[in-house]
Amino acid sequence: MCKCASENPMYAYPATITKIIEETPDVKTFQMVFDDPQVQENFGNQPGQVTMISLLGHGEITISITSSPTRKGMLEFSIKKVGRVTEIVHQLEVGMKVGIRGPYGNNFPFEDMKGKDLVIIGGGIGLAPVRSLIDYVLADENRADYGHVDIVYGARSKADLCFKYDLFDTWPQKKDTSVYVTIDRSEEGWDGKVAFVPAYLEELNPSPENKIAVTCGPPIMIKFVLQTLAKLGWKDEQIITTLEGRMKCCIGKCGRCNVGDKFICLDGPVFNLAQIKQMPEEF
Amino acid sequence: MNKVIKRDQLVAALDSIAAKYQLIAPVQDESSVLFKPGVAGKDVVLDAVNSTVSPKGTFFPQWETMYTYNMAEADFAVKHPDQGPDRVLFGVRPCDIMAILHIDPVFIGEKFGDFYYEAKRNKTTIIGVSCPSVAHTCFCSTFGGSPTANKGADIMFYDLGDKFAVEVLTDKGKAVAELISKFLTDDAAAPAAVEAKAKELAAQCKPVDVTGVKEFLDGAFEHPYWVELSKKCLNCGVCTYVCPTCHCFDVVDEGYKSEGQRIRCWDSCMAKDFNLAAGGHNTRPSKLEKVRNRFMHKLKYHLDRYNLAGCIGCGRCSQKCPVNLDITQVISDVKAVK
Repeated sequence: MCKCASENPMYAYPATITKIIEETPDVKTFQMVFDDPQVQENFGNQPGQVTMISLLGHGEITISITSSPTRKGMLEFSIKKVGRVTEIVHQLEVGMKVGIRGPYGNNFPFEDMKGKDLVIIGGGIGLAPVRSLIDYVLADENRADYGHVDIVYGARSKADLCFKYDLFDTWPQKKDTSVYVTIDRSEEGWDGKVAFVPAYLEELNPSPENKIAVTCGPPIMIKFVLQTLAKLGWKDEQIITTLEGRMKCCIGKCGRCNVGDKFICLDGPVFNLAQIKQMPEEF
Repeated sequence: MNKVIKRDQLVAALDSIAAKYQLIAPVQDESSVLFKPGVAGKDVVLDAVNSTVSPKGTFFPQWETMYTYNMAEADFAVKHPDQGPDRVLFGVRPCDIMAILHIDPVFIGEKFGDFYYEAKRNKTTIIGVSCPSVAHTCFCSTFGGSPTANKGADIMFYDLGDKFAVEVLTDKGKAVAELISKFLTDDAAAPAAVEAKAKELAAQCKPVDVTGVKEFLDGAFEHPYWVELSKKCLNCGVCTYVCPTCHCFDVVDEGYKSEGQRIRCWDSCMAKDFNLAAGGHNTRPSKLEKVRNRFMHKLKYHLDRYNLAGCIGCGRCSQKCPVNLDITQVISDVKAVK
């Protein structure tokens, strides 16, 4: 192979799908392993970073890495069937190949979070990027560095909850971890909480003291979560979110994902609320 | 700058270059003047102050294959096309050279380079040619340019009417200058003639006062001026097409069955679906956001990010706009609407 591959940041390395989990009717989690073990070894992703997944003949999509770097030897991507390329991705089967390039962007400030309690607030597929952080913090080798972890998560219905195995099984068993799950409307077979995420958050009333909040979900949910946190006395610097935008290159050149002079792909996707308030409202 | 070449020897000199390098130079194409590769000396035209479309396509083509694939051959194996021969880009005006310097940091540097742009940039020697006159749409001096500036050129030709004074500025330029050495003669009066010409042209420049514009724009994102301004825009995108510093692109796969290619092509922030994401969210859905983004990019964002002006004053967008949306007018307007 020509050296072009290693010299071209827009070259996607071949990877094979090793596992597919059907999360919801329109979300699947794909586990992928690079064909070249060296590429896998050197990938160096951090919680919160994104990749471009390439399907030759169909195009590329920007997808956040759902798995934590503490889980070695593979990457996980939770992908919602929402557009032209993701429709095709959903037809893929174990053993099939895709291209992956990255990792891109900044990461959740997991160093600054050390010694603090975390409140994770997610809605729908919005839990996907944040799951990389949750699994990083809850990993045995890192757990002692962080305080209590609260996870507040909601979806439209029971069927729309992503990562049920984590929400109801893995995470509640972890030390100093509380998981609060809610759905938007009551339904048969659900005896859990029924509320919108911002309302549930207000009810839980997390004090801002020595805490960091991380939120991701539908824009409308984020909007009300931010209002709720402000009401509960949280400061902008304590609130972190991750943005998305249409991207073609993911390396700061194609000119699509700019918000003011910032590129989401290079300077983001992770921003705290104080930074976001400095940016024009165009995301 | 003591060397000159007679104008009537230019065709022969360019042919000597074309024998060794691929010559890219402005040629007449129906009513347009366009930079084209592989041209002969006789076809080169230098009378237009500015080419219709900027020469940025030399490094960032309007359309290029990123790589080809054949999935029947091997799993996900792609082939990168050759990035072309060594080239000489001749006839570039000072403003267009400045534009290249101002989009270099987009494609080169920061965290990621650009394989395609960098390869072509490294393979290219730039010969600038000073402007014969100043067009009514020109305002390069606004951004520190001038009709005789040599910054960024490997060789500079100064147009003195019946001859050009020749200045070799870099090692890359030296190698090309050797090919035309037999056409160069000594002329002790050349430097003075160039200086006189520079003064004459500088006097014709009409700079637009940009003092305070960036500072105003820093706080003007929500200003009602953008609503008024955007009303007449047709979102045709010709401004972005002719602009030497616009660098937005699209990436598209073109294929049939298992074979095809991934291409990239110029795109425009004026295009309808430019920011439309899957699921329907569009961060810049209407004319207002599009027009504001274009002018903010040219006059503020690029400056904020790279400390370089995003506009270099070539005047092409003002010249081509079907509804006379004139960036110099925008500059004066925002000073007035504060």
